[in-house]
Amino acid sequence: MATQRHSRDVILDVDNISLSFGGVKAIQDVSFDVREGEMRAIIGPNGAGKSSMLNCINGFYHPQQGTITYKGVKRSQMRTHEAAAQGIARTFQNIALFKGMSTLDNIMTGRNLKMRVNVLLQALHIGPARREEIAHREFAEKIIDFLEIQAIRKTPVGRLPYGLQKRVELGRALAAEPDLLLLDEPMAGMNTEEKEDMCRFILDVNDEYGTTIVLIEHDMSVVMDISDRVVVLDYGEKIADGTPDEVRNNPQVIDAYLGVAHD
Amino acid sequence: MFYRESGQFKTSYAADQALLPIAQDRWFVVLVIALAFVVVPLWADEYWLQAVLLQFLIYAMAAMGLNLLLGYAGQLSLGTGGFMAVGAYAAYKITTAFPDLNIIVVFMLAGLCAAGVGILFGIPSLRIKGFYLAVATLASQFFLVWLFNKVPWFYNYNPSGTLTAPPREIFGYLVTGPRALPEVRYLVALTLVAVFALLARNLVRGRVGRSWMAIRDMDIAAEIIGFRPFQTKLMAFAISSFYCGLAGAMQLFLWLGSVETEAFDIIVSFLVLFMVIIGGLGSTLGSFLGAGFITLVPIFLTNAPRLVGLDMAADLQKHLELMIFGSLIIFFLITEPLGLARLWQVTKEKLRRWPFPY
Amino acid sequence: MQEFLNCVFVSSPSELVGSPVFFAEVVLSGVLTGVMYSLVALGFVLILKASGIFNFSQGTMVLFAALTLVGFMELGVPTWLALIITIGVMVLLAVAVEKFVLRPLVNQDLIILFMATIGLNFVLEGLGETIWGSNVKKLDVGIPDYPFEIPVGDDYILLSTFDVYAAVIGAVLVFSLAVFFHKTPIGRALRAVADDHQAAMSVGIPLKTIWIIVWSVAGVVALVAGIMWGSKSGVQFSLALIAFKALPVLILGGFESVPGAIIGGLIIGVGEKIAEVYWGPCVGGAIENWFAYMLALVFLLFRPQGLFGEKIIERV
Repeated sequence: MATQRHSRDVILDVDNISLSFGGVKAIQDVSFDVREGEMRAIIGPNGAGKSSMLNCINGFYHPQQGTITYKGVKRSQMRTHEAAAQGIARTFQNIALFKGMSTLDNIMTGRNLKMRVNVLLQALHIGPARREEIAHREFAEKIIDFLEIQAIRKTPVGRLPYGLQKRVELGRALAAEPDLLLLDEPMAGMNTEEKEDMCRFILDVNDEYGTTIVLIEHDMSVVMDISDRVVVLDYGEKIADGTPDEVRNNPQVIDAYLGVAHD
Repeated sequence: MFYRESGQFKTSYAADQALLPIAQDRWFVVLVIALAFVVVPLWADEYWLQAVLLQFLIYAMAAMGLNLLLGYAGQLSLGTGGFMAVGAYAAYKITTAFPDLNIIVVFMLAGLCAAGVGILFGIPSLRIKGFYLAVATLASQFFLVWLFNKVPWFYNYNPSGTLTAPPREIFGYLVTGPRALPEVRYLVALTLVAVFALLARNLVRGRVGRSWMAIRDMDIAAEIIGFRPFQTKLMAFAISSFYCGLAGAMQLFLWLGSVETEAFDIIVSFLVLFMVIIGGLGSTLGSFLGAGFITLVPIFLTNAPRLVGLDMAADLQKHLELMIFGSLIIFFLITEPLGLARLWQVTKEKLRRWPFPY
Repeated sequence: MQEFLNCVFVSSPSELVGSPVFFAEVVLSGVLTGVMYSLVALGFVLILKASGIFNFSQGTMVLFAALTLVGFMELGVPTWLALIITIGVMVLLAVAVEKFVLRPLVNQDLIILFMATIGLNFVLEGLGETIWGSNVKKLDVGIPDYPFEIPVGDDYILLSTFDVYAAVIGAVLVFSLAVFFHKTPIGRALRAVADDHQAAMSVGIPLKTIWIIVWSVAGVVALVAGIMWGSKSGVQFSLALIAFKALPVLILGGFESVPGAIIGGLIIGVGEKIAEVYWGPCVGGAIENWFAYMLALVFLLFRPQGLFGEKIIERV
């Protein structure tokens, strides 16, 4: 049950974003904002443009129109690694883990931006390189403890079951200590227990670390339970924006989900 | 029963991350090093040192280089021969221009030259991937070999076009040139290989190694997390070419004593590629296993028929070698793309349980 | 250095412009080489289009075909019979390669397939040389080969009848293949298979038979290429290396395009010849060793999908 939060600063402002691929309009003139520390959900039927929206926020897609203001800085084009450097981390709908590496190594890759020591010292593995590696290992282990995946830390992720892979992916995103966390269907394909665990982790991240979370999810009960505010997209357009209660009773939203004939 | 980890607890991250966390492995490596550095030079005869061990060491160095680029960073390069050539020719030019410069320093500088060239030919790797990159690296292979053939400055205007290693000393011992003892050359090569193997292992288990593997496994996701693909790939090309260049310099100075450009042609690139595949992609041990394998097969083919009483003509033997190499490549790619290193790992797993079946 | 720059920027271009007739001769010669590159690339494109399999050993198949043909001819078998036997051998070879090498690796990366076919190249070369011996062989299937002149103004262009025959045969082959693909029912079936194996099977197209047909056609193309190349420069291992040059052709033309293979081959053939004849002397010759690859490299930088290939869009 999401507690009401007193209003905070806007950390992300999405303004009049339009995105098309060739002739296909994926997103049409969508605007919304996200407040710091908030749990914001983006929902909508399949193909509504939700993943594309996340891809715009972290710089993977470049919208043809509109701007995104993040931490007060307005920009329309950003490279993905710049987004990462500015504190945006994300998970992916289809899991984008590095299959050849272990759980621990995958999470350590999330620490990459914080590692500074140069190549030569690393090759010799002495002094600062050694200390840095161990320090980051400690941080990764904290995340492993948090997500309760100690038993699989050395297993190559390609061998893990789907639910655990999704958890590891969350761990990798958390390792970067993000200010803004984008989660693309983090609970897809999970059973009830796994969903509960995942929910708990996500809520803990939001509560304990104050990380702002933007979340795409299909499971309505989850969305309604844990989000502060919800944006609803359909066919690339925004059709509702407000608290879960407001959105739940919005006739347009109900139509979109029940598949009423679209003009 | 013997090869067990139970009872070996790690109480610090440093211990867990150590290169050889299992005690039995540590003993094994110590044993191998003792054998290699002490027993071999005392016992081995010139044939073994010259024709087998030195060849193995040089191949191992080159295979390590290619493994870093292909096995860890996922960039397919067919230009290995070309980069080895850069190392050999650079070392030759530097040492003939500065005869008093310590030969090991010359080697390092030659490696740096090769690294530079590697960066240059690695630039296309940002736009071009996979198989297309392999064909692009063929450009570097053919061009570099042609360059060293055609521009006389590279071989000091010597009419035969052959490079000959001038004699050089370390601590008063002659290490290169026709009068250097094979034992001495062997030990120098062995030291270089051991040191650089250690450096490679360190790189691979740290940030640089992870950045390569991330780019290899899923470069889009890697970029989204914050890895810079261009820098990562160029770093891979640079370091890999350094190793290959060093191998080339070692080939000229420590193993053969003289080379022509044919020693670095496309066949060499294929050979090193085979070593890496058969040995196991993404494994330093694999580079050694593959190099050993490729070194031993011709020896085996030369000697085995005689042992069994058959007498095989030299060119028939060569043809059979080709066929066996080729078939083995195909065999490994189909059955165990992770190569001999994986087989070794599986063996170790079985050893853990031995004598119990499971 | 001065001399070098002068050669590259002054004397070579002036030579080029100075004698247009000679230039035409060079271009023609390049076109003829280009046709032969195209033939090799074409075999590859055919197999890819029809079965989705990358047969990088096409080059070695060219060598093997030529070796087999010469081998039988040297045994005294009349030319026409040797040709038929060789075609049979090529079909068998193709079937074996598909069964033992390509099918087990069917879902792997391009890179793995490429490396497997390098291995295959070694096997075929070893096998061919074991059976037929490794010295260079002369291949003569009866194509007339004497020089003749085409007068142009008061100058003339020097050509050889052999080259003309080769170009004509190449063109005829390419043309008939194009017709075969697009006009005949079998060609239609092949294109259906390339598009979607399951769908093709569900309308009753026999997959195995189709694949055998395709591979046989590719084998015949390889044989023709082998005859052309082999007659010109003798049958030896370097034939397979020439076939590696088909790779830049494929890169330029895109991997799945018949017109691409043709145009790519022509561009590479002509480009190589011009570079070698006019600028070769500035650097001591043998530019042909690397020019095609450099050209492909530069091309890839600007258009990674080739002239006719499809643009690759990456999604997450």
